[in-house]
Amino acid sequence: MIKLLHVEDDADIREIALMALELSGDFDVVQCETGEAALNQVQNYTPDVILLDMMMPGMTGRQTLEKMREMDSLRDVPAIFMTARAQHNEIEELRELGAADVISKPFDPISLADQVKTAMQAG
Amino acid sequence: MSSFISNKRNAASLFLSSALAGGWYTATSALLSGQSEEFVPVVGAIVLAGITPLVMPLARSRTEAENHSMAQRLRAFDSHAIVNIVDTKGLLEEVNDRFIALTGYTREQLIGKPVSMLYDDAFKELAAEIRACLKRGDTWQGETPLRCANGRMIYTQITVMPMYDEQGNWTGSISARTDVTRANELLAERDTAETLYELRDDIWIVDAETRVFSYMNRSAMRRTGWSDKAYTAKTLDDLSDESGNDAILNACEELASSGEVITQLDTELLGKHFQVTIKMLQIGRAPGRFLIMLHDISDIIDEERMKSEFISMVSHELRSPLTSIKGSMGLLLSRAAGELPSKARALLEISHRNADRLVLIINDILDLEKIANGRLEFNLEDTDIVSLLRETGDANASLEQRFGVRIQIENLNTPIWLNTDPNRVIQVLTNLLSNAAKFSKPGDRILVRAEDDPNELRISVTDKGQGIPMAEQHKVFQRFADLSNSNRAAKGGTGLGLSVCKAIVENLGGKIGFDSREGFGTTFYFTLPKKTSQMGAKETAPLLREAS
Repeated sequence: MIKLLHVEDDADIREIALMALELSGDFDVVQCETGEAALNQVQNYTPDVILLDMMMPGMTGRQTLEKMREMDSLRDVPAIFMTARAQHNEIEELRELGAADVISKPFDPISLADQVKTAMQAG
Repeated sequence: MSSFISNKRNAASLFLSSALAGGWYTATSALLSGQSEEFVPVVGAIVLAGITPLVMPLARSRTEAENHSMAQRLRAFDSHAIVNIVDTKGLLEEVNDRFIALTGYTREQLIGKPVSMLYDDAFKELAAEIRACLKRGDTWQGETPLRCANGRMIYTQITVMPMYDEQGNWTGSISARTDVTRANELLAERDTAETLYELRDDIWIVDAETRVFSYMNRSAMRRTGWSDKAYTAKTLDDLSDESGNDAILNACEELASSGEVITQLDTELLGKHFQVTIKMLQIGRAPGRFLIMLHDISDIIDEERMKSEFISMVSHELRSPLTSIKGSMGLLLSRAAGELPSKARALLEISHRNADRLVLIINDILDLEKIANGRLEFNLEDTDIVSLLRETGDANASLEQRFGVRIQIENLNTPIWLNTDPNRVIQVLTNLLSNAAKFSKPGDRILVRAEDDPNELRISVTDKGQGIPMAEQHKVFQRFADLSNSNRAAKGGTGLGLSVCKAIVENLGGKIGFDSREGFGTTFYFTLPKKTSQMGAKETAPLLREAS
């Protein structure tokens, strides 16, 4: 099973992503509502992949990942951003930050699991 | 502006004045040449000069000394006033030397000619009014323009008085004028100076060589904190030092060295955004000066930023619920919650399709907003358009299934390299393919073709659909164009796609257009300039604000 940490402030989107990922049967999903909660979570939990919303109240997805990258255990864990349509330069910036992929919202729940797996392989 | 003053006089006074005025010209000439010692009818002229009270008693007790005095006064009057006599038909009978000197005509060009030749068309109404006034026996005073021989207009303060013969018949009129052109110009200059001073824009005048400020209007003084005494001791360099902005200084230097007359730039200064216009003033051999006008556009920029932020915010706020809606429906349609009754499934598919459409609309609105603000990115790279066409065709294979059409990419074997933004070209092509599929009949073929030209590449998408009615073709690239046969909602269009395509293609330096015949189909095409970067490096396309 792939341990996936999903950080998303919208409860409905969390639920849909959870259902979509559980459909494949390959993911063990842990979800957090904020970047701060995610940073607490990873103190005792090391995911195989991180799925991060970009725009969240409090810490943004980018800030959350920057903090996570400071931790030895998370330095090389593939991270995938979920965001409203980002421009080319923004996507490039996120990739430079270590993002394995950037998934646009609204995402396709049917292909979400495959997208995550592909990004993990590429990363 | 002319003023009108009319004073009714009694008949005797009128007769005396006009009779005397009638003989004024020859009498004046005789007196000035010192040839006449006889009584001369000069009173009419003196009346015109406004010195009637001085002259009337003299008419009865004239002596040689008095006549001499009169001659001196007339000489002064003749050298000051511009005088002409006009007959009852409006023809010029006499003009004095001052009239000739000022207007530039010869006496021959004037005598016997209609006085209207001296007036502008706009003056005709006033001329009729003066004529009516004279006919009533009234004197007219006011300001009138006068056209000189070289076409220049001069402005005169004029007194026109009717003339009568001994029987009291109207014989014409005599006019005495003063040139007030310069006075008017000075007044106009004063008005201009006052307007400049009160203008909301900042105005500076700076010596081109020393860069010392020679003028600042009120707004400029207020902004810099330099009063009229302070700015004359300041230079552009002082402003650069204090504001930390060298843009205006550099622009002035470039303007002076380029030989151009005017330049414009946008810059920040003293915490505000300005649109700056710099004009080189060079009059004769006088030292050159820069006229620098600063238009504060901070509010406009703030409004644009707020609008942009609002659109981005709305877009984001719409995306979150749409993600949930679309995601839920997608999961239901994928049977994640079990099998659905066929009618429920059909209704869900409609909802899902329209959610997709909403996403497209939001994306298009965002793109258009970014293009309008010059913020849509274009990442140019050397691109093989032939491969790109094939890939786009493959990526749009779902259109073939959905609409029962066949997309045929014309068989191109040789790569065609262009320096362009492949993602934006795909976006345009996808949009055109989607439109073509929506308006085709099942079984139709959609042809994608690339035509290689020395200067440009022309890419076209041809369908055999219903075509666009001639009367509506001009609306095709308008936002939310309401075409009668488009049935946008049913086809899933956004009404913005072609506007976005047009803006993208124009930003890439190309053109977009179409040929359509109702009932036979449509070909949409766009061109891309044939250029490649020499080293294959990325280039940035010019972002045209007005492209949207």
